[in-house]
Amino acid sequence: MPDRILRWIDERIPLTDMVRRALDEEIPGGSRYAYALGSAILFVFVLQMITGVAQLFYYVPTVDHAYDSVNFLRTEVPFGWLIHNLHYWGANAMIVLVGLHIARVFIYGAYKAPRELTWLAGVALLLVTAGLVFTGAPLPWDEPGYWAAEVGTSIAGTVPLVGNAVKQLLRGGDVMGPLALSRMFVLHVAILPAILLGFLAIHLAAFRAFGSVGPWDESKRKNTGEFWPDQAFKDSVVTVFLLLLLVSLCVYAPPPIAGPADPLDTSYVPKPEWNFLFLYEALKFLPGRLEPLGTMGIPLLGVLALVLLPFLDRSPERNPLRRRFAMAGGAAWVGFVLSFTVIGYLSHPVGVGGTTGPPPSGSPSSLSPSAREGSRLFGSLGCVGCHSVNGKGGAVGPDLSDESRRGHSRAWLAAQIANPKSHNPNSIMPPYPTLGDTQMNQVVDYLMSLGATAPSAGEVSANPPPSAATPAPPAHPARRAAPPSVPAAPPAGLAPTNPSLPPAAVHGVGPLFSGSPDQGPPGPAASVIGSVERGAILFRLYCVSCHGSDGKGGVPNPGAVGGAIPPLNPIQRKYFSADPNEFAANIDRVLQHGAIPKGPLPEKSMLTFGTTHSLSQEEIANLEAYILSLNGVERARLRHAGIPPETWLLIVIAAFTLAAGGLLVIRALRLRKSAGTR
Amino acid sequence: MDEKMSHPDDSAEATRRDFFRIAIGVLGTVVGLVLAIPLVGFLVGPAFRKKIPRWARVAKVESLPLGQPAVLSFTDQSSEGYLRETVVRNVWAVRRSATEVTVFSPICTHLGCRYDWEPNSGRFLCPCHGSLFGLDGKVLAGPAPRPLDTLPVKIENGELFVEWERFELGISRKIPV
Repeated sequence: MPDRILRWIDERIPLTDMVRRALDEEIPGGSRYAYALGSAILFVFVLQMITGVAQLFYYVPTVDHAYDSVNFLRTEVPFGWLIHNLHYWGANAMIVLVGLHIARVFIYGAYKAPRELTWLAGVALLLVTAGLVFTGAPLPWDEPGYWAAEVGTSIAGTVPLVGNAVKQLLRGGDVMGPLALSRMFVLHVAILPAILLGFLAIHLAAFRAFGSVGPWDESKRKNTGEFWPDQAFKDSVVTVFLLLLLVSLCVYAPPPIAGPADPLDTSYVPKPEWNFLFLYEALKFLPGRLEPLGTMGIPLLGVLALVLLPFLDRSPERNPLRRRFAMAGGAAWVGFVLSFTVIGYLSHPVGVGGTTGPPPSGSPSSLSPSAREGSRLFGSLGCVGCHSVNGKGGAVGPDLSDESRRGHSRAWLAAQIANPKSHNPNSIMPPYPTLGDTQMNQVVDYLMSLGATAPSAGEVSANPPPSAATPAPPAHPARRAAPPSVPAAPPAGLAPTNPSLPPAAVHGVGPLFSGSPDQGPPGPAASVIGSVERGAILFRLYCVSCHGSDGKGGVPNPGAVGGAIPPLNPIQRKYFSADPNEFAANIDRVLQHGAIPKGPLPEKSMLTFGTTHSLSQEEIANLEAYILSLNGVERARLRHAGIPPETWLLIVIAAFTLAAGGLLVIRALRLRKSAGTR
Repeated sequence: MDEKMSHPDDSAEATRRDFFRIAIGVLGTVVGLVLAIPLVGFLVGPAFRKKIPRWARVAKVESLPLGQPAVLSFTDQSSEGYLRETVVRNVWAVRRSATEVTVFSPICTHLGCRYDWEPNSGRFLCPCHGSLFGLDGKVLAGPAPRPLDTLPVKIENGELFVEWERFELGISRKIPV
């Protein structure tokens, strides 16, 4: 029956002939594992297509849902962790394999006539792959992805004359916003894959026209092997090991949950993924006007060298030992990329030209050591809960962005901090009488640095990221709005609880809301899976002063029941839940709306972070992930794994071991049989 | 194809190549399964997931008037796929005794309008097509095909919990959507 069907098809289209053409190929010198790289890339490409299309069933390319939809598919869809992580690791594997493939073709001299077109199509495939890596990064709309695209498009903007137009075209406007995400999405899932398929067809057709180049040593070319089944078998073995490696990486090195994109987060210092580190490091040597030379010059030079290679190096000689010039050039390039990647990996980010823009005045990197310490205290003492600096912080007290220019002396500032009522009897600012002289000086140094030095015109990059350029109002509207504010509620802050205000007015929540009777509803952050790592940084800035290092507590709060601020590690039973969503919702109410401790006259109250916009919803989500982690609950726990990752890896290993064992038995039986017939 | 590629005169070589073909088939099948099984789970899994009941705390039972309907508002954490929202919902509650409360969905069973309580006549009236319901939810007049939909309730420590649900409209049977 199958034969009849095949014959029927063959009479209409030459299927058998086409398959034979594709597989029937002589390989000079025989098949080799070194030749399996091309097939391995093809396999990873097919894997990327499958896992990419599968993710489209759940992914939503809008700034308000992209991050949540990716985390939903990663944690709540069976095998979502595997599909997503395979796509992530597949992309990384693709870059490595393409690099190795190019290196092998280069060493074998396989770009020479008549294989120029195979090589050129290969270079095009390399560029499209780079485009896919670039456009794929921002799709989850997480912090690293957002900043990679922000910096990447800014780099495009540094090209003389056309740069700005290219940047705006890529972004669909001035800023990295919803239109930019749509563009990256369409490029990533439709346009670039289509172009890639086109070049892949040319690459394979051109390759099949002239076949494998084989060894350069004539004596080794005498024995010929065939693609089918000799090389195809070796390709299959490599594919199996590649798949095992990828699944292992998915299980033991899943991409981190990096926190939702927050364009206003000035504390986030973007650093590229490993694949762009060499360029990032090289840019440090090309500051100012030389920058475009690095951002576009180096990549352009590399591409130009690849395109021109078969036309510049036209001698038929393929032995690498006799192609010293070409080999030296290739080795120099590889040496440059590898060494700069390592240096870039080890280096700490600094503000470099267009990549990060100048630090805003008063940002830690431009401060004296004392003022820098003061900046840290400003965060940890909770000042930032009420006062805003460069658009960051609460709105209860005055904005301190230009404090040095407000005419206050150092002594005035010190007196204000030690006893605010000394200047204004009605001040609700809490006094800090216990601050030592050194710490007081540090805070005053910091305040005196605010607004003291505006960045000079020469320092301003052509394309500073919005966070650095415009403190307020934000270039992007906040992605997630805070929950409804409590009616007529003066935010609690660290202010002493005002006894003239009834608690209900302070917290302002009626019986409308379920849950804790004195708390408002959870805000948008409650359902966002934040980053533990980012949360830890924020915790040190905003929470440590009251909740203690690692949330262990122990900070006194006179006037409150128990006399101390409750620890968060471990957290009170009423907030805890083994279910991460429930746990996050429980603490989210407190983070959004604040709380006043029980007791006659508590000195300190929980800050109102959400409704006062002291922290963004993205930051609150990150803090929640960290607080959950302190209590042994993983915010990004796999709720529906399908089969748990480690178990699945064991099953996969067992399946391949079984297959290999079976094949060895078949081989042994066949050898015995053929020996018997002889 | 096979006849052409192998060399029948070299039986060891033929055996080797036969083995390669079998190996490619076996390894290809395992690779296919390793990818296909997760893909099927990925695409099928959420479609057949059972709904987990989610109880929302609504009010203290003692705060409800006895034998009188009261509209109650509460926040519900709605969750559909990746969308999680805090939504405010309304329900009608009638306290029958200290331990018994009936909670009605606020949606008319006819075509989904929001009905209201008529204190003068002591009946629920739907303004869209004039359906009338008694305090027990039974249809008294109008086109409504079935009584008002009751919602699952539980009382714990004197507090009323409700599970929000929606039902098919315009039919005589109460079928959850």
